[in-house]
Amino acid sequence: MDSRHAAPSPEPVEVPPECRGFVAISVRLTGFDEFDLRATGMVRLYHDTTVDQVGREAVGRFIDDLAAVGGDPDDLADETSRDIARAITHLWYLGVWPQLARSVHAALGREKANVAFMVSPEAYTEGLVWRTFHGHAPGAKPPGFGTWAAPPPGAAPLPAADCRTEGAA
Amino acid sequence: MTAPASPTDIAGEPAVVDEPPFRVPRDRADLHTFLQAALALEHLTIPPYLTAMYTLRPGTNRPAFYAVRAVVLEEMLHMTLVANLLNAVGGRPLVANSRFVTGYPARLPYSRDRFPVALRHFGVAALETFLRIEHPAYVAEPPGHPSVAGDEGWTSVGQFYAAIREGLLSLVRAMGEGELFTGDPARQVGPQDFYNSGGEVFPVTGLASALKAVEVITDQGEGADRTVFDTDDRFFGEVREPAHYFRFNEILQQRTYGPQDTPASGPSGPALEVGWSDVYPVDSEAKVRHYPHGSAVREAAERFNAGYARLLWVLECAYGGRPAVLREAVPVMLELRDLAERLYRNPHPDAEKAARGLHASATYEVTEAHFAAARERWSPDRG
Amino acid sequence: MSSPSPQLDGLHYDVIVVGAGLAGSLVAKQLGDHGWRVLVLEAGTRTLDTWPGHLDAMKAYYGALAKVPNAPYRGNIAAPSPDLLDLEGLPGGGYRANGYFVQNGNLPYASDYLRAAGGTALHWMGLTPRMHPEDFAARTAFGYGRDWPIGYADLEPHYRAAERVLGVAGDAAEQRDAIGLPFPDGYCYPMHAIPRSHLDNVLAARLDGIPVRESDDAPPTTLRVVTTPHARNSTPDLRYDQGRGYRPAGAAGLPNYGERCVGNASCVPICPVQAKYNPLKTQATWSCKVDLVPRAVVSRVLANANGRVFGVEYQQYDDPASPVHTTRTAEADIVVLAAHAIENAKLLLVSRLANHSGQVGRNLMDHPVLLTWGLLDEPVGPFRGPGSTSGLECFRTGPARRDRAPFRIEIANWGWSWPTGSPSGDVARMLGITGDSGQPRGRGRFGTGLREALGRRIGRQISLQFAVEQDAESRNRVTIDPALRDRLGNPRPVITYDLSDHVKRGIAAAKAVSDRIFGILGAEDHTDYAPGPFAPGHFRYDGRDFVYHGAGHGAGTHVMGDSRETSVVDSWQRCWDHSNLYAVGCGSMPSVGTSNPSLTMAALALRSCEQIHRDLMDLHRPRVIRPVRVARARTGEGRT
Repeated sequence: MDSRHAAPSPEPVEVPPECRGFVAISVRLTGFDEFDLRATGMVRLYHDTTVDQVGREAVGRFIDDLAAVGGDPDDLADETSRDIARAITHLWYLGVWPQLARSVHAALGREKANVAFMVSPEAYTEGLVWRTFHGHAPGAKPPGFGTWAAPPPGAAPLPAADCRTEGAA
Repeated sequence: MTAPASPTDIAGEPAVVDEPPFRVPRDRADLHTFLQAALALEHLTIPPYLTAMYTLRPGTNRPAFYAVRAVVLEEMLHMTLVANLLNAVGGRPLVANSRFVTGYPARLPYSRDRFPVALRHFGVAALETFLRIEHPAYVAEPPGHPSVAGDEGWTSVGQFYAAIREGLLSLVRAMGEGELFTGDPARQVGPQDFYNSGGEVFPVTGLASALKAVEVITDQGEGADRTVFDTDDRFFGEVREPAHYFRFNEILQQRTYGPQDTPASGPSGPALEVGWSDVYPVDSEAKVRHYPHGSAVREAAERFNAGYARLLWVLECAYGGRPAVLREAVPVMLELRDLAERLYRNPHPDAEKAARGLHASATYEVTEAHFAAARERWSPDRG
Repeated sequence: MSSPSPQLDGLHYDVIVVGAGLAGSLVAKQLGDHGWRVLVLEAGTRTLDTWPGHLDAMKAYYGALAKVPNAPYRGNIAAPSPDLLDLEGLPGGGYRANGYFVQNGNLPYASDYLRAAGGTALHWMGLTPRMHPEDFAARTAFGYGRDWPIGYADLEPHYRAAERVLGVAGDAAEQRDAIGLPFPDGYCYPMHAIPRSHLDNVLAARLDGIPVRESDDAPPTTLRVVTTPHARNSTPDLRYDQGRGYRPAGAAGLPNYGERCVGNASCVPICPVQAKYNPLKTQATWSCKVDLVPRAVVSRVLANANGRVFGVEYQQYDDPASPVHTTRTAEADIVVLAAHAIENAKLLLVSRLANHSGQVGRNLMDHPVLLTWGLLDEPVGPFRGPGSTSGLECFRTGPARRDRAPFRIEIANWGWSWPTGSPSGDVARMLGITGDSGQPRGRGRFGTGLREALGRRIGRQISLQFAVEQDAESRNRVTIDPALRDRLGNPRPVITYDLSDHVKRGIAAAKAVSDRIFGILGAEDHTDYAPGPFAPGHFRYDGRDFVYHGAGHGAGTHVMGDSRETSVVDSWQRCWDHSNLYAVGCGSMPSVGTSNPSLTMAALALRSCEQIHRDLMDLHRPRVIRPVRVARARTGEGRT
């Protein structure tokens, strides 16, 4: 049983709460609360992807611009900051870093291809867009046999079978 | 094969699970008590297994995930077989009450060791617990046998089931098979109501199927008669797999059993990949009251417990004469899976615990209020 | 390489099956169970029948930007597959074809397939409606297309056999009542029907019993939402098989793992729990008499001067990223081509076999699919459950077929994913992100406003899929061109494809029916058939724009018939010109009706197995050596 004791400690060291500022901004961008965002397990990856894609400097300007308009992304005027807001939101909703506007890509002097990509396979399954209509990413988090027969939240109840026949005649 | 050492990190006093008296069941009522206890025993391990499974970081540790998953599904099969058995002898399986769900950590029942079973994240300590639960120790003879004359209590789960088996045989001898198996066959859960990995549910209608149920439950857990493998091939025409104990040992040893391996040889097959740090660590003694009032974590943890009560209520309806209702349990379970995963990915609301890298977790604290709400919300008649 | 490739040169089998997809896997299963030695040669790789292989496909699917049917399956330059992303629409109409196919038709053949062990049925939807009896004689009854040499009654027992091996869930009584399908008395499917979606129920509540006219002078047709049979694990029916019941088949590659459908809503391109039938499940039950050799691209069928085939030549490779290969041969008494309609035709053309009729490669068909989409007035729960659980079957049959192609209407459970790539497109649009990064972007919305607007929009998405029957036309064809080859030197399929006016009238009628249905539903119609990069199937007809999509139902390239002069195979799918060469699959179908064809293909394959078995028995029957005296006497009589 030696290998059991040779197994490394399963306790990773983290300084909480992880990426607090990024999460706070993401709450304003996405309309989902902190619990929902952290529940994706994607906070660190999305933070790192954003910094990697547009650079610390642009992220800093974006944070300043957002603070200057009271944290409401709808009021962002600078097109670069606004496109970063679009990209981060797109990332949260779909797990995909999108293509930036060509002008923004040039203005940032990015040294990487301006292409959309899925940041990780799990990011796809954690897309927030599915939660907007009480769904789940196809191929992940299946809700169980026959659940598709139930009315979704907000749907009117169906008439009973006999009324249905009557109404149709 | 050394028995895992007892963990020392549990601060609180573990809950004690009721055990029936140390004897072979004497009459029908006694048998009902034993089988109801068996039902609780099969359920006891499910929350710890689910906790280990869903604390794995998404997309990682797939071999471990599928190994634990297979065991969880077999535990659910065992629960259902016990319910069939209890129904077959005219009993009423009861699972939707707060006494049925123990608090965690709980002391491992039917054992002389004072070993705590806690809700742990996937890791060495969790696996050691599972090994202890599924340990294929020497199974002492059932109570009444001269070799255990000096014993005052149960020494293994195997011994407990051997007593049930003995009781079934002696009651059939005493009253006749037809007199013992008086349950309504319509209450039996069949393969059309439940099928999944690791065997199939079958109706219990007489002594033969009752003994087969006991054998499936004990073989899948502890292995068949000094081998590594279970008997799914014999019972279900399925592929032979290592019994639970050995599956967990494979993960711990990071190596699988080969066809020639024995319990003594240990696993010598291909390496098995385990990412010990691809895990959300949780507080193994977490309670809802540890989470601040009004916090999203507390709300989610409450919602989880309410959902778990709903799951048990659905099961009670299914075991109580509506076998087709079992189908409704799967969506509830999958909803709980999502909620649990969402909890584990959030940091523990307590700053000190969060600083230790601990995450929020599902606590499986189910109260009578939860059950009352579950009954109110859903009934098999309303659908 | 750690171990040498199996040396099959000089080995002799009873049967060689080319292709380990749905038809090939069934043929190998049946013949192997009879005790015949079967060699299955698969052009693609074999990685998906293990659980790590399956999980790798899941990861590839999750990670893919475009979730097209082939997205989970790794590329392979030695045995390339056509892909939906190969086609691009042009701004003013028309299309460009990149990739494996060479296309020179007026319109594109818009379907893909998958060359890998398990085949295209790894990413099929899993719908298994039977063909209607009148589908088998459309030429005689309605004056278009080609007739079958057999009818529904000939195929009926094989339909039942196919429903057993694929594991079909359905409601036979409803199929009989609503569609008029004949079943033997008391027949039930192995499993109870897959539950209808909430959307099906909404549509049924608003449409059932309502008469609609597809044009002002047409007779009314009464709408009815009908549950679709699926090859998908559901609740076993205890009545099945004289009360013996049915045991659902679990996943291939993970012991004792199998579930009924849990609603992953990703049947196309991959069922994560393998509740949906796939041929790997059949392969897992092959007898030890069956050998599967993957990464073996059959390049030619070998025949003697007397017309009997004796084996195949194939190219074995080790690395799907490299064109390096070794050419080998394998021999057998009977060769069965089961490589997909287009690949079967290609092989026959390369081998210069079976083409006395001149029909090899001709009559290429698909089900052109017209999509219509809109928003309902309340949430419908899109993106839940199997892709389609019900349909409207009332335009599949009847005298209107004289004038226009019939169609089957699938109610789509996955919102606008097929027509518009929802929900990715919805998110991008609401954020102001345009398709072209050079264009100025919209302001976009954020926060709860964005969240609620997306939920409102996506939650109400509905879509109908009209699968239109395409008639066999000899001008729609697969050919080969020695100048156009893949990396292993095998010819790429050159495809000439178009839609007949009969089909186009069917498409126009489908749109008219859609307009009326949307009107009854009170749905806001968002259907849009403008040309563009995502509309390679754009065409104009009668002054209006349409866009069709491929259904992945390639058929007709080696049609069966009742004469050697006009067809490639007989009703047993045996080549008229070569008594020990079979070509099985949808390629044999002279017409496709409006049913998803896999079940019919499976039924045909199982029927062919009976004849192949008889052929093999005949071959192995000891020759009777006539006594010399009798032979002399006969010679003396001057008779033969």
